[in-house]
Amino acid sequence: MGPDFDFTDTPVSTGTTIMAVEFDGGVVIGADSRTSSGAYVANRVTDKLTQISDKIYCCRSGSAADTQAIADIVAYSLNYHRNQTNKEPLVWEAASEFRNFCYNYRDSLMAGIIVAGWDEERGGQVYSVPLGGMLTHESCTIGGSGSSYIYGFVKEHYRLGMQMEECVEFVKKAVQHAIYHDGSSGGVVRIGIITKDGIERRLFFNTESGQSEIEGSKSFLV
Amino acid sequence: MNSFGIEQFPDYKVPGVQHVDFSPYESNGGSIVAIAGDDFVVIAADTRLSSGYSIHSREQSKLFEMSPKTVLGSTGCWCDTLSLTGLVKVRMQMYEHTHMKTMTTDAVAQMLSIVMYNRRFFPYYVSNILAGLDKDGKGAVYSYDPIGHCERATYRAGGSAGALLQPVLDNQIGYKNQNLSLDQLPPLTKERAVAVASDTFISAAERDIYTGDSVLINIITADGIEKRELQLRKD
Amino acid sequence: MTLDTAPDLPRAGFNFDNCRRNAALIQGGFKPPTMTKTGTTIVGIIYKDGVILGADTRATEGPIVSDKNCAKIHYLAKNIYCCGAGTAADTEMTTDLISSQLELHRLNTERQVPVVCANNILKQMLFRYQGHISAALVLGGVDKYGPHIYSIHPHGSSDKLPYATMGSGSLAAMTVFESRWKPDLSEEEGKKLVRDAIASGIFNDLGSGSNVDLCVIRKDSTEYLRNYELANKKGERQLDYRFKKGTTLHTTLKDLEITERVQVVPMEVS
Repeated sequence: MGPDFDFTDTPVSTGTTIMAVEFDGGVVIGADSRTSSGAYVANRVTDKLTQISDKIYCCRSGSAADTQAIADIVAYSLNYHRNQTNKEPLVWEAASEFRNFCYNYRDSLMAGIIVAGWDEERGGQVYSVPLGGMLTHESCTIGGSGSSYIYGFVKEHYRLGMQMEECVEFVKKAVQHAIYHDGSSGGVVRIGIITKDGIERRLFFNTESGQSEIEGSKSFLV
Repeated sequence: MNSFGIEQFPDYKVPGVQHVDFSPYESNGGSIVAIAGDDFVVIAADTRLSSGYSIHSREQSKLFEMSPKTVLGSTGCWCDTLSLTGLVKVRMQMYEHTHMKTMTTDAVAQMLSIVMYNRRFFPYYVSNILAGLDKDGKGAVYSYDPIGHCERATYRAGGSAGALLQPVLDNQIGYKNQNLSLDQLPPLTKERAVAVASDTFISAAERDIYTGDSVLINIITADGIEKRELQLRKD
Repeated sequence: MTLDTAPDLPRAGFNFDNCRRNAALIQGGFKPPTMTKTGTTIVGIIYKDGVILGADTRATEGPIVSDKNCAKIHYLAKNIYCCGAGTAADTEMTTDLISSQLELHRLNTERQVPVVCANNILKQMLFRYQGHISAALVLGGVDKYGPHIYSIHPHGSSDKLPYATMGSGSLAAMTVFESRWKPDLSEEEGKKLVRDAIASGIFNDLGSGSNVDLCVIRKDSTEYLRNYELANKKGERQLDYRFKKGTTLHTTLKDLEITERVQVVPMEVS
C-alpha cells in the first residue's frame, strides 16, 4: 500500500441482493441496503429500489454509477413519453428500454437490473435484465451477488398464486438469508409493494423484531 | 529477484490465470540525522512508524544503542530493521565473548557493511546511519546503502526525508555555498549540532508526511550517551 | 465552430492530441510527472437548521506536502458548496465548471437552483468521463425543499445521506459520525462534531493535515469559516537561519535604479 493508496479510486459497486415477485394485483420488490467500495461500506442505508415512473420501479445491482445513470436516463425517457402521449408507461416498455441500454453498451456496463411494476394492460409484472443485456419475463426472480445463496430457498418456498402478505414475508425471509451469508449484502431489508394504487414501502431492520433499536428520527432511513 | 518467476517459463503458463507477485518489502518511513564533532556525535531520529496513509506508532525509537559509544539509526522496512539490528547485536556479543572487549565504532561499521552485503540479492530494505566515537575519541558518522556500501562522513541525513534534510546540513554544517571565511561562521559546538538537528526535523515534519510526532536525540560523548526528546507536529 | 477572427482559438472541451504520444512514451519506460492529489478528509452533515461542510487543508504530491493551507470547500452557488477530494486540478475545474452552469441555470429560470440540480450535473459529467476525472465530492446545500448532503464518487454514482465523508481520511472521520451523529443537532453541536471528524482525519490519516475549514449553510445565510481551527502549530526553531551579508559570491557589481513599488504579502496565513 503506497502513498498513492486512496480507496476513493476503487469503483463503487452494489454487491447486492435484489428480488421481485409477482402476485395477483401487483408485485413485491425487495433489496438489501449495502453499497461497498472494496472492503469499505460506502453507504449502509442505500435505496436500491429506484423509481422509474409512478408504478414502475427497478432493483439495481452491479456498478452503482452505471445503474444510477441508466435508471436516470430511462426514468427521463419514460416521463417524456408520458407527457407526449398522456398515457402511463407500461412495465414492458420500461424493461425494454433498460434492455436496449444494457445490450448496446454491454461491453462497458456492469449492471444487473430487475424491472418490476404495475400497468393497466397486464397488471403486476417482473422483468429481469441480467449482465449481458438479455430480457426475460419471470414471475419470481432474484439478482445480485447475494442471490446465489438463496436459489435453494427460493426453489423450495416459492409457489405460484401466493397472496400479497405471503409474498412480502417470502421476500423478506429470502433477503435476510442472503444478507446473513453474503459479505457484500447487508444493512436493512427494503421492500416495496406496487399495486394499482402505487407503492407501499416497508423497512425491516436487522434485529430480532425487525424494528429499529436506535432512538431518533426515522425520517432519515425511510 | 524473480529468477524462478513464471515469466521465465512461458511454456508452463496457464491461459486466463493471473499471477500476483508477493511483495516482501514495506516502507515504514522515518528520518535520521547524524552530525559528528571533534569529541562528540549527535544522532537524531523521529518516532513515527507508518505505512501507506496510516500511522502504526507515534513513539517508536529508531535509535539502537549498540555499545556505550555506538548508536545505530535505522529506518526503511521496519521488520528488516529489527532482524538486522538483532543480528548485529548477536555478532557484537560473540565478538565481546571471543575477544574480551567491546567492538569499536569503526569495527561495528565494517561488520554492518559485511552483514548487509551478505544479502546482496535479497537486501535488507533499510537506510542505516551509524554514529559513535572512534578509537581516538573523535565523532564518527557512517552511512550505508541497502546492500552494504559504507562511507564515513561528518554529517549525514537518511530515511524518508533524507533528500530534504541533506542539503540543509550541507549548508549549515558543511558551510557549502557560503562564501565566508571560517572565522565569520559559527564553530560546530555540541549545542549547535543539537540545535541544527532539531530544527531540520521541525522543517521535515512540515513537508514529509512520514516524519513527525517527536524526535529522539542521542548525544554521544566520552561521558556517555545523553538523551533528549522534542515534540513535532502530529498530523 | 471556428471563429474567422481568432482561428487559433482552441476548441472547447478537453484536448486529447498527446494521448497516443504519451502512451508510447510510457510504454518506453517514461515516468509521467505526478499530479497533486488532495489525500484528504472531507465531510458533510445535516443539522437542525441546515448543513455543515468540513475539510482539512493539506495537499500532497506522493509523500511530500505540496500545500499546507489549501481550500478544499468550493463555491457552487450562494446556497450550495462542495468539498473535493482526489486530483486537485479535477476537483477545482469540475466545481468551477458546474458553478458557472448553475449560475446560468439560475439566470435562465430566475429561481434559486435546488441542490439535486448540482448533484445531477456533477454525476452526469463524472459518469461521462468514466472515472478518468478523479473527483470524489461531498456536496451540501439548502434549498426550498430543505437541507441536503450528497456524496459523489469519481465514476458518477451518488448517495443522498444525512452525513457523509470522503477521501483517504474518510474512515477516520466516519468513525466519529457513526458514534455521535444524531438528527436535529444544534449548530454548536454540529460544528463541534464536524471539527472532531476532520481532526480525526488530520491526526490519523497521513494524507490529511494542517487546519480545519468549515462551511455552515443555513436556510437563508451562508458562513464560510476558513481556518476555523489551526489544528497544528509549527514548531519553533532554535537558531536563526538568516544569512550574513556577503554569503553569496558575486563577480560584478551594477547599480540599478528601482522604480517599482513592491508590496510584500505573507505566503502563509497560518
